Amino acid sequence: MVQFRNGFYADVRVEDRFCTVISYKDGALEEMKNPVERQAFLRVYDGKLWYYASTTDVAHLQKTLDGLYAAATENPRILEDPIVRRFERNRDTLDSFGGCSVRDVPLRDKQALLLAYLPLLNEDACVKLAQGMYLDRNSQFCFQSSLGADIRYVYQTCGLAFSFSMAEGEKKFSGHWSKAGTRFDELQGLEEAIRAALREHAGFLRDSVQAETGKFPVVLSPEAAGVFAHESFGHKSESDFMLSDESMKAEWQLGKTVGSPILSIAEYGGVPGSGFVPYDDEGTKARKNYLIKNGVLAGRLHSAQTAAALDEGLTGNARAKDCSFEPIVRMTTTYIEGGELDFDQLLAPIEKGYYIKTIHHGSGMSTFTIAPCLAYEIVNGKLGRPVQISVISGNVFETLGLIDGLTKDVELLSFVTGGCGKMEQYPLPVGFGGPCVRVSAMNVQ
Amino acid sequence: MEKEFIRETKRTITLNVTGGKIDSFREIEKTTGTVRVYENGCIGIAGCLGEPDEAALTEKAKEALAFGVPYPCKLEGALELEEVHDAEILPIADFIPTMQDFLDRLGALCPKFAFSNKIGLEYSRTEYRNSLGRRLVSAGRQFYVSLVAQNRGSGNLFDTFFAWDGDYFNAEELLDEFKKEYDAFFRPVTLEPGRYPVLAVPDQLLYRFGRHFLGDLYAAGASLLSGKLGQPVFSDRLSVKDDRNPATAQTTCFFDAEGCVAPDFRPTVVENGVLKGLMTTKKTAAQYGLPDLGSADAAYDGVPEPGFHKTWVEPTAETLRELVPEKAVFAVVASGGDATPEGHFATPVQMAYLMENGELVGRLPELNISGEFFELFGKDYLGTVHDAPLPGTILSAFMMDVSI
Repeated sequence: MVQFRNGFYADVRVEDRFCTVISYKDGALEEMKNPVERQAFLRVYDGKLWYYASTTDVAHLQKTLDGLYAAATENPRILEDPIVRRFERNRDTLDSFGGCSVRDVPLRDKQALLLAYLPLLNEDACVKLAQGMYLDRNSQFCFQSSLGADIRYVYQTCGLAFSFSMAEGEKKFSGHWSKAGTRFDELQGLEEAIRAALREHAGFLRDSVQAETGKFPVVLSPEAAGVFAHESFGHKSESDFMLSDESMKAEWQLGKTVGSPILSIAEYGGVPGSGFVPYDDEGTKARKNYLIKNGVLAGRLHSAQTAAALDEGLTGNARAKDCSFEPIVRMTTTYIEGGELDFDQLLAPIEKGYYIKTIHHGSGMSTFTIAPCLAYEIVNGKLGRPVQISVISGNVFETLGLIDGLTKDVELLSFVTGGCGKMEQYPLPVGFGGPCVRVSAMNVQ
Repeated sequence: MEKEFIRETKRTITLNVTGGKIDSFREIEKTTGTVRVYENGCIGIAGCLGEPDEAALTEKAKEALAFGVPYPCKLEGALELEEVHDAEILPIADFIPTMQDFLDRLGALCPKFAFSNKIGLEYSRTEYRNSLGRRLVSAGRQFYVSLVAQNRGSGNLFDTFFAWDGDYFNAEELLDEFKKEYDAFFRPVTLEPGRYPVLAVPDQLLYRFGRHFLGDLYAAGASLLSGKLGQPVFSDRLSVKDDRNPATAQTTCFFDAEGCVAPDFRPTVVENGVLKGLMTTKKTAAQYGLPDLGSADAAYDGVPEPGFHKTWVEPTAETLRELVPEKAVFAVVASGGDATPEGHFATPVQMAYLMENGELVGRLPELNISGEFFELFGKDYLGTVHDAPLPGTILSAFMMDVSI
């Protein structure tokens, strides 16, 4: 691809991204496109500063790379640099989607699939505005470094996303339902699932009541638990936030108890789906990392820069949103591991609480938040009426310690819309999930 | 067949800051091209990354007509207008040393904080042409500081933000204000729960209600505002616009993605409490019989969709002291909140200062704020001040329930 020079570290990442977007609103075609974009991101490091460039002129990468070399300063000892010494030199070609690439599925088949589902959205008169989308992405990544790394792999997702705005008299409600996979044929036969989702949302519109505010036991669904894991602890495990303040390493010492002993949170880029990152954007191979193991701080997420600064190993979490940006420490697929209970056992001890089934969004700092979409009251160990909740929140560490029940079954979720945001880089596809999680007290508003 | 051609260029120079030191330099120049053609009630779109070949894009756009995406052809008429404000803010060669000097001075003033994130320069240029003779050129520039501050030893990802953007760099101005916030950060204060004026960037509240201003949701009857166009629904002191004016929105193009130019470059959504406009495109405006707000947005290869770029709220006060003379909560970071379908809004406030007489008194503990949509922008809306505490900043005040 390019000729690297001695005296510098450099790498080049190229993405050939094929996408399909088909969108209907109220039965009418809104958008249909399937662009192919080629873009590259180049990095040169001289031991003092990183120099970055992004280009769509993929045919002339050498010129862009030479421009970066000209800005940097030659360093004969660059190979001794602690960051450079950490880089892996993997050489691999990985295509899990040979024979089932969404590039090979005719556009008309994708359109027909979506069209077949659209009438379902209008089966209840309370739906006033319905939107349906088919989305897919097939990205061919190529990564080469001056150390000899040479990696090619394919990332693929496809899915359907429906949103519906409902109204009946003065009552308003908006909901969504989506299904994401990695192969087109996974999107067939979803009629009953879509109907059930619409029935549940219509029931919410008609019957939901305002939740009581205050502190209550809360049960999180796998979706809500996954967001909780991602927001409450995943972002805290991104080591770049430890680089600026030298006291952070002592504050976040591995082995420290940070949560309930039944809580384990893992992170792994090898999970198929939207968080699939077999090699990160610095060429590091994915591996399973525990962030919390049995309530104890067990690890954190790294780029080569953060691993070198904290003298820890690479984890495969240097990721960029696309080839417009440099890789920074990001999550891949983050999940809570399962426990020993079934769902009824999880609910049984709760006299008055709430079950968060689906969510609009979540966020996490010292306080984490989840904005529920579908939520239900729990009364005497049983699910009750649908309830409206603006936001549930809690101090992260207090809440991690208040987890007192997990179901056995774990669900890992993929997405074709939205993604994770971190400063300027949004959205980055990730996966998350977990079992159903019971927290003995959370703030409900 | 009618046609639109758009060329956009954006050049960004970004420095990454870690522990108060610059550790990377990124320069990106990105050009995109778009051609939209209209025929028989449909739109055909072609876009490219890189320098556009207009003739080739036009052919592709014609081919895309076969997709049959319905879209009314309502191009804006002849007009030639240029707003070019893209003079260099700082020479690129001086950018790293100038900013490192600024960071060193900031670090000396605020020794208990560790700073990270980005400082950058942006230069953007958009050219729009259509077959009815409209030719528009908008070029802008922006310098921004977006620094995350960690209180050393707190163990937190971040404790507060120091941020500003504008079309110039004045180190003294920024250092002076950041030092005031730094000093207030280390003066912990408390507040009894109750109702207080809450001062915030208006988007922190408006953002969660943005969907109710969408034209299609409004027309479907599923918006909290449905049926209220032209009616007084909020405080008569509240006027909300989408800011495309180069004087205050430095890198926002003064026209929308369909070449619409609003009076004063600010499409009006709410004027003196009356709902005057909804977020529309030419398609949704025509489809639902709504006024065309002129705030369409579009990806370089996408169909126009309703957009909103920078909230502009009419000022009602000259100074912070005039706006909130008594005790007030200044919500600096309020992340993760939302509203119920009926409009009950609540959010935690991760970083807040207590203000009195318009001055920072000290840092409040994490707290929660809440209110109702129509009341927040109605009887509980207290007003808005511009250029405080820093030039270009807009802060609005709302009476809200505060719990700690």
